[in-house]
Amino acid sequence: MGMVQPKSLKYRVMWTHIFMWFFLASIIFPLLVIIAISFRTGNFSVGEIIPSNPTLDHWKLALGMSITDADGTVTPPPFPVLLWLWNSVKVALISAGLIVALSTTCAYAFARMRFAGRTLILKAMLIFQMFPAVLALVAYYALFDRIGEYMPWLGLNTHPGLIFAYLGGIALHVWTIKGYFETIDQSLEESAMLDGASPWQAFRLILLPLSVPILAVVFILAFIAAITEVPLASILLQNMDKLTLAVGAQQYLYPQNYLWGDFAAAAVLSGFPITIVFLLAQRWLVGGLTAGGVKG
Amino acid sequence: MSNVLLKNVVKNYNPGKARDVLRGINLDIKEGEFVVFVGPSGCGKSTLLRTIAGLDDITDGELYIGDHFMNDVPPVDRGVGMVFQSYALYPHMDVRTNMGFGLKLKKMDKTQIAKRVDPTAELLGLTKFLDRKPKALSGGQRQRVAIGRCLVQQPNVFLLDEPLSNLDASLRVKMRMEIAKLHKELGATMIYVTHDQVEAMTLADRIVVLSPLPPKATTNLEQVGAPLELYRTPVNRFVAGFIGSPKMNFLTGMLEEIGKKSCTVKLDTGNLIKVSVDASTGKPGDQVDLGLRPEHTVMLDHPQADSTITGTVKLAEHLGSESFIHLEVGCTPFTVRVRPGTPAKPDSQFDIGIPADACYLFDENGKAFERTEIFVRQD
Repeated sequence: MGMVQPKSLKYRVMWTHIFMWFFLASIIFPLLVIIAISFRTGNFSVGEIIPSNPTLDHWKLALGMSITDADGTVTPPPFPVLLWLWNSVKVALISAGLIVALSTTCAYAFARMRFAGRTLILKAMLIFQMFPAVLALVAYYALFDRIGEYMPWLGLNTHPGLIFAYLGGIALHVWTIKGYFETIDQSLEESAMLDGASPWQAFRLILLPLSVPILAVVFILAFIAAITEVPLASILLQNMDKLTLAVGAQQYLYPQNYLWGDFAAAAVLSGFPITIVFLLAQRWLVGGLTAGGVKG
Repeated sequence: MSNVLLKNVVKNYNPGKARDVLRGINLDIKEGEFVVFVGPSGCGKSTLLRTIAGLDDITDGELYIGDHFMNDVPPVDRGVGMVFQSYALYPHMDVRTNMGFGLKLKKMDKTQIAKRVDPTAELLGLTKFLDRKPKALSGGQRQRVAIGRCLVQQPNVFLLDEPLSNLDASLRVKMRMEIAKLHKELGATMIYVTHDQVEAMTLADRIVVLSPLPPKATTNLEQVGAPLELYRTPVNRFVAGFIGSPKMNFLTGMLEEIGKKSCTVKLDTGNLIKVSVDASTGKPGDQVDLGLRPEHTVMLDHPQADSTITGTVKLAEHLGSESFIHLEVGCTPFTVRVRPGTPAKPDSQFDIGIPADACYLFDENGKAFERTEIFVRQD
């Protein structure tokens, strides 16, 4: 803080600021463009950043309201965007919750228990995760087609099926949480066991409350991934009323007619749940939970 | 209160692949006794404590606590309480919850928990801090909470794993006295692990000295005994070198004359030293190590000086109440304690008188010859 700095530091700080502003602008600009398109009259992808005669038509259609033109023709909303949004939120919340539950228990086993094949399984999980899931789309389709024959509620074209498919991608989360668990002194749980806690109680009453920040991070990451995921959802879901928003929004873009304005409104809409979840989860992202438990 | 009995305990973390950490541990710890495990790092003293607690399983041998066979009993049912080196307080709970955690798990109701926690907090001077989180406490207070959490469980055996090693020097002395007081008040069986021999000497009824297990040895339990017994009559060179601060000096030589009451040793430097030990089991010409504590040397003209050696001064440390002079005898470092302020110029020669009854003698394998007389300084 009070350290004496060389003169050149001032310029370096200045250049860093300039760089950061450019960087920030390049991130925020696309978002601004999408918002601009959603308020622009007509369905154009290029045009003014601040529309000269803004319209709410695209938003009305996205929010399920019919619009009436100047000549009196009524255009009903072409797609159930709000339903898609609800589908997305439902799938993302449930899958993120299950992913946190699964990867936490998994990570606990890998961090604290010694069993045969432990390192092998850990590494294998990471390596399998390196193959893009997209490559296995056909396999996913075939698998869920067959599952559906026995358990229709978990087969193709169902949300439980999609959630089940998403649960396959927890390897990285397991690694993340395992790394965090390993920073927590094991003597805390040993002490709890001497106090009479079962391994499950030691896990739930001691380790979990101290791991809230990393659980929040994993929840947010899993939630974002589920909201924005397209390939798998587009293969597994087929009915118009089952689609998630990320898949459904593409219905606006068919080769004969790119409805950019309507698409943009839907796209901005899909950003809301992520923002809300992040704002809610933010208060769990705190440091210093383990302070004072063991000597520093 | 319970006694603790270990029979031929062996611990190996990876049997068949790794070396044993503990081997041939036989111990009989009596009810209400304060036993201290000491040893250099890596000797397995913490491991031994953890096997008694049940945090590590026993590879071979038998463990009894209060005459019950405990090898396969989970920690909570052994009736032991443990204070960890790192305190291991639950950071997300306040002091009250920390101390009552075990009782809550045992499904005690709140008033009963309070009935146990409050007097314990009172005893340890923690009443003011009951609503604080561990991070708002100082090191000594955290230490007391850790002890308190152990106390409210009313265990039969207390296990303490280097509980004072994270405290600063003055606090350590204070807590050491508090632990001694606590042991007197409770009369509980306590097993205490430390590498600090001052703690071991001051607290222990009996000290257990452990060494890092040599590959072929049958045990790494070197000696069990009262503090002064270990100081006066160590059974081997390891215990002699470990107990005592500053460390015992060792000089190599060979037996010149043997006898039941005393013998003569010819050092490699050529000096002849008279030693009061029963060396009748050896024979002249045997290689031996002569041990001499820094505080057991005398001035040349002292009536107790039976032999003399001469060293070159390397460094003098004047501590005020006493002075230590670090010498080199032959090529071996040799430390002596002298009267405060004794002048000693570096590289000058320094003569020391050696009482025969102050000497320890060890054979080639490090085993001690029995001492026939114990040195008492006469000023």
